[in-house]
Amino acid sequence: MTALQFSSSVPLARRQLLARRGRTLAGVIGIAVALLLVLALKAIFAGMEGRLTAFIDGTGADVIVAQEGVTTMHMTQSALAADAMAAIARVPGVASAQGIIYKGAFVETGPNGRSGIVGLVGGGPVPDLVEGRPPRPGEIVLDRALANQLGVDEGAVVQVLGTRLRVSGQVEGTAAITGSFAFVARATLEQIVNAPNVVSYALVRARPGTDADELAIRINQDVTGVTASTRASFARSERSVVGDMSTDIVRAMILIGFVIGVAVAGLVAYSQTLAQQRDYGVLRALGLSARRALSLVLVQVATLVLAGFVLALGLVGLLALVLPMLSPTLVLSIRMEDVLQAASVAGAVALAAALIPVLHVVRVEPASVFRRTS
Amino acid sequence: MSDVLLTIQGLSKIFGEGETRVDAVRAVDLELGHGEIVLVMGPSGSGKTTLLSMLGGLLRPTTGEILIDGVDIAALSERELPSFRATRFGFIFQDFNLIAALTTRENVEVVLNLAGVGGKMANERAEELLVALGLAERLDFDVEQLSGGEKQRVAIARAVANRPQLIFADEPTANLDSAHGAETMRLLRQLAKDEGTTVVIVSHDERLREIADRVLWLEDGQLKRLEALVRDPVCGMLVDPAKAPARLESDGETLYFCSRGCRKEYEEGSF
Repeated sequence: MTALQFSSSVPLARRQLLARRGRTLAGVIGIAVALLLVLALKAIFAGMEGRLTAFIDGTGADVIVAQEGVTTMHMTQSALAADAMAAIARVPGVASAQGIIYKGAFVETGPNGRSGIVGLVGGGPVPDLVEGRPPRPGEIVLDRALANQLGVDEGAVVQVLGTRLRVSGQVEGTAAITGSFAFVARATLEQIVNAPNVVSYALVRARPGTDADELAIRINQDVTGVTASTRASFARSERSVVGDMSTDIVRAMILIGFVIGVAVAGLVAYSQTLAQQRDYGVLRALGLSARRALSLVLVQVATLVLAGFVLALGLVGLLALVLPMLSPTLVLSIRMEDVLQAASVAGAVALAAALIPVLHVVRVEPASVFRRTS
Repeated sequence: MSDVLLTIQGLSKIFGEGETRVDAVRAVDLELGHGEIVLVMGPSGSGKTTLLSMLGGLLRPTTGEILIDGVDIAALSERELPSFRATRFGFIFQDFNLIAALTTRENVEVVLNLAGVGGKMANERAEELLVALGLAERLDFDVEQLSGGEKQRVAIARAVANRPQLIFADEPTANLDSAHGAETMRLLRQLAKDEGTTVVIVSHDERLREIADRVLWLEDGQLKRLEALVRDPVCGMLVDPAKAPARLESDGETLYFCSRGCRKEYEEGSF
């Protein structure tokens, strides 16, 4: 006998879901909240990574040279030897090498005033200003988010490592919850750290036609005591600082999101199945195969989870718009890879949530249809 | 009887084992013809539902054969049975058992889908049946909005949608008032006589005897022809003369009783 096809003329799965709208909606919202935990956290860390490398990305350098073994600006210290800049400039393929000083510091408005963490850059290129002018000696350029947080404007005086500096301008896009970048003249920072001629990093531009990877290798070979990385590689290392910090948190949140998602989707799917148990018995008696009954359950769970996933995407998009307005240091960056990861979590949620209802439906006996309901 | 559609040979169903063993149906033999209406009656727990479930391919017998047009449905696999049921059988239930999530039309359409008929064809067939049953104004109603009689008509439309050879009706008039019960009986009779559909009805409703070609009595898992049974003059129960626990010769007539208690009451004239 040929197995008969179940035509999809009557959208049974959809009808069953819509028959209990309140329960279905609650399920969709629950799943969305669970997936939102995963998506929002990933987006926050992605946003943080983007802000963390905003300065590096904007330097225009092809290669960044640091003290040997150093491949990041955050969470480390770098100091190049006195003759390093000259040695770097002599490497074939180097068009220019600009030394900068980098120092982590607090910016304060006064002895008992507000404060914020900055990565203080002395001597490097200043990103496009949204207000004011580049810093002269004794001046500082702050990120607008930090300036707002401190309540300072152009012309205000702030204190950095015991030195009073006048705010000369503002930049945007470097503030994250870990801190922001601030820019001063190189001489100012040398004076602040009391170390003339010190260089933390060298920003190297390659001659036209010179490959950045090859130039980094050449600098590493020709100059002792340094580690040269291409800008992309340096930014990657910088992002991994956040990645390393966040991995466990993200994993924990994915697990929590998964558990909540499975619990909500599973509970809704199971309660739907229980409520429809008699319907399943009737349909089985009328000719619905066990395989088709299972697919009905799976379609229902998949629809719930898909709707929850779409809602979660919408909510995280909304958060990405609203959160920066509330807190400029909180930026959400929604990356395709994170969406795909959340989608795979959603898929796992659907499979796990469908398990119990599927087992339940398998056990529905067609003959149960003859049992009285009252 | 017209030519044979269904043959049952040595059909038995045993539930449990040891002390909990119940012989729900015992070695039943039966033949049903095309277009025949057979009413199966019997006391509660006599095995009527078990028999109906086995005939409808919903429950596997312990032993025996159920041959429909030469196909032994007891031997069909779990993959084969659903499509066999969808195309060959129609079911009418006491509680109607309509799918609440679907409209009137969809309740009929869905069984056509199960039999492989979809789209416009299924839609039109469902509408045609429902209109013929006087439900033209209720096609897109939620079934919960329908009256008991209307629900039963939807159930009948659903049962006949795939032009089945056999319809199994479990207490089809139990939840209906007398007018709707009579209407259901008329529809079942019409199906059998006009379409040649064989109808097996399990019921306690004596009114259904009016449309039945044969009335069978199922007791203790065994079938008997109702004509061969006699009534206990005290309690009115049907009794098999061959197995009556008590009897009494009275005025040259043999009276059969369901129990010694009934005979005693009869003798004392206290009933």
